[in-house]
Amino acid sequence: MGFTKVTSKVVLAQLRPGAEVLARRGAMLATTGQVSFSPVSAGPGGGGYGGGIASALGRAMQGEAVPLMVAEGTGTVHYGFRGHHVTIVDLDGSEPMSVEADRLLAHDASMSSSVVFLGQQGGLRGAVRGAVTGQGLFTTQLSGRGSVALLSHGGTFAMQVGGSRQVVVDPQAYVAHTGNLRVDVSASVGWRDAVGRGSGEAVQLKVSGQGTVYVQASEEKL
Amino acid sequence: MVDLDGSGGSAVRAATGSMVAYEGDVSFKNAGFGGGGGLRAALKQRVTGESLNLMEVTGRGTVHFAVGAGHVLVVDLAGEVLKAESQSLLAISHALRTDVTFTGLQGASSGQGLFTTTVSGHGQVALISLGGPPIALRVSPGTPLVVDPDAYIGAVGPLQQSFVSDVSWRNLIGESSGEAFSLRFEGQGVVYLQPEER
Amino acid sequence: MSTQPLDPQTLPDHDNLPGNAYAYCVRLTGPLFVQTGRMIAYYPSGGGTIRFEPLTATSLTSMVASHFSSPLYSRDWVVANGQGHVILGDRGYDINSYDLDDGNLTVRAANLLAFDAGLELKESIIPGFLTLLGTGRFLASSSGPVIFVEPPVRVDPEALVGWADCPAPAQHFDAGWMGHFLGAARSAVLGTRSGEERQYDFTGAGTVLLQSSERMLEDPHVVRRLEGEVRSLGVDQLTHLQGVIASQLQQQRQ
Repeated sequence: MGFTKVTSKVVLAQLRPGAEVLARRGAMLATTGQVSFSPVSAGPGGGGYGGGIASALGRAMQGEAVPLMVAEGTGTVHYGFRGHHVTIVDLDGSEPMSVEADRLLAHDASMSSSVVFLGQQGGLRGAVRGAVTGQGLFTTQLSGRGSVALLSHGGTFAMQVGGSRQVVVDPQAYVAHTGNLRVDVSASVGWRDAVGRGSGEAVQLKVSGQGTVYVQASEEKL
Repeated sequence: MVDLDGSGGSAVRAATGSMVAYEGDVSFKNAGFGGGGGLRAALKQRVTGESLNLMEVTGRGTVHFAVGAGHVLVVDLAGEVLKAESQSLLAISHALRTDVTFTGLQGASSGQGLFTTTVSGHGQVALISLGGPPIALRVSPGTPLVVDPDAYIGAVGPLQQSFVSDVSWRNLIGESSGEAFSLRFEGQGVVYLQPEER
Repeated sequence: MSTQPLDPQTLPDHDNLPGNAYAYCVRLTGPLFVQTGRMIAYYPSGGGTIRFEPLTATSLTSMVASHFSSPLYSRDWVVANGQGHVILGDRGYDINSYDLDDGNLTVRAANLLAFDAGLELKESIIPGFLTLLGTGRFLASSSGPVIFVEPPVRVDPEALVGWADCPAPAQHFDAGWMGHFLGAARSAVLGTRSGEERQYDFTGAGTVLLQSSERMLEDPHVVRRLEGEVRSLGVDQLTHLQGVIASQLQQQRQ
């Protein structure tokens, strides 16, 4: 149960009946024992990381849904993805974790997941009103007890939110968050100079509330 | 990754686009080209295309900078002169002066390595090393050093830099897109390299 | 975060630079095969020079040249000769040295950095891989630290760095997964490579080396090998191949 770190880029999952793992397609590096892999069928509320809500809204969101595979049986699987850094976070069930769709490598299948759109003020309504992709983030919210393996370019570091100082994050560097946090996507004139590189929109994520934000140690998109 | 504690009053200039996150009350202002080198430096940079887009960061808080998950090398300057590839510059203390110098014309294919940014004065310079921790190699009279220009980040000290046209260690046909020369350093100083080719 | 400068007098003879898994230093004591583009810096010592010569150079002894038996890759390699230290790096990958003692190891051509001229190099029948034989040291790079796994193990081809002592792998196509896949959307999906449909099966006694590889969009070795094979095709086969390439191009452009 859970993942163990093998290197900064590879984690190991032990599988047995009752302890299945969900991972993005293409993440399996090696497997021993008797393990079978099946694609998870897409559909509203299920399917790819970030894909559920898109289908529910009836909109085709290019590149937002990440296809998944479930691994079951008895044996081990080494997981990794394109040489990216992997961070393991163990959740004890008290707080859900929201992870940006592209940044989720794998998680225990026993956890429940749903899709949350972190958009501009208006949230989901903003998405329906036709907010353009890039103005928000599709995140997968994982609840329950289990292990989550996060992907990032370079390592991740945790920023505690809740003190007197506001916390602002470059959307391309946002990986995940836990706790009771409000993440607002907003444009900022000063930030325009700070970000300055090809995303077209100089937006920033303002995080408030009580919890932890996981940020990647690189400004590059995955 | 560099964390900078801008505790009110101290300002830092950093490469635009390198911000990852910040806490506190921090403001960012475009510092134009070169900043501190005056109009002459700004003009030189526009002409050569060597871009050194800096922004000024002031306030009270903690700012996290990063460039491509690179490792950071901090060099303390106490009156010496550091020459660096502008792409490798992450941040410099406000008091340092920057300038662009022309280091020679020798059949370079992409123009890289012809112009370098010179930083002088008293303060700290943060350089980015891509691919792994930076490598610092000492050069002394009698022990010259030859380096791959795509791995070269910067150098400190009175060094003579020349171009070596022997690049047999490269594959010039097909895949490799590196420079058609190597850099040779003689004299007394330290050369900084990164383990990954730009 | 400051770095202490290294002096040529105290550089290692054959080891990673202190504290740096991504750079490796070798003091030349004889000819060293080095893959092109992997040199970061070198200190020629004793007032001499360090020469890097292509494999066709007449100055190379026939013994050295005959140890490299791979016409396909010969232009990717040079021989370093001279006195002094050579510092090698590879795309920011982790570099490790390996000792072969009358052994054999097959490694992905793109990940082999350098090897002693005492070892023999041949091409593996698995495309894109080289086999080293004999006794000597070699350097291999990997995306992140290399992972060692013992057979029996099933591996994603992109994650494979190499294998030692055990037989070459067999290809395995996951029947269950293919069943799901083909059942779902047959026409649109046939021929598209995605996910885990093809794997390598290793059995026997030995070690398999793995990495979490960065996607190489265009592996030049694969193209070169395909070019070689294309030249031996007949008209019908070439026409068929042209059709396959055209449809791939169309898919990729979407």
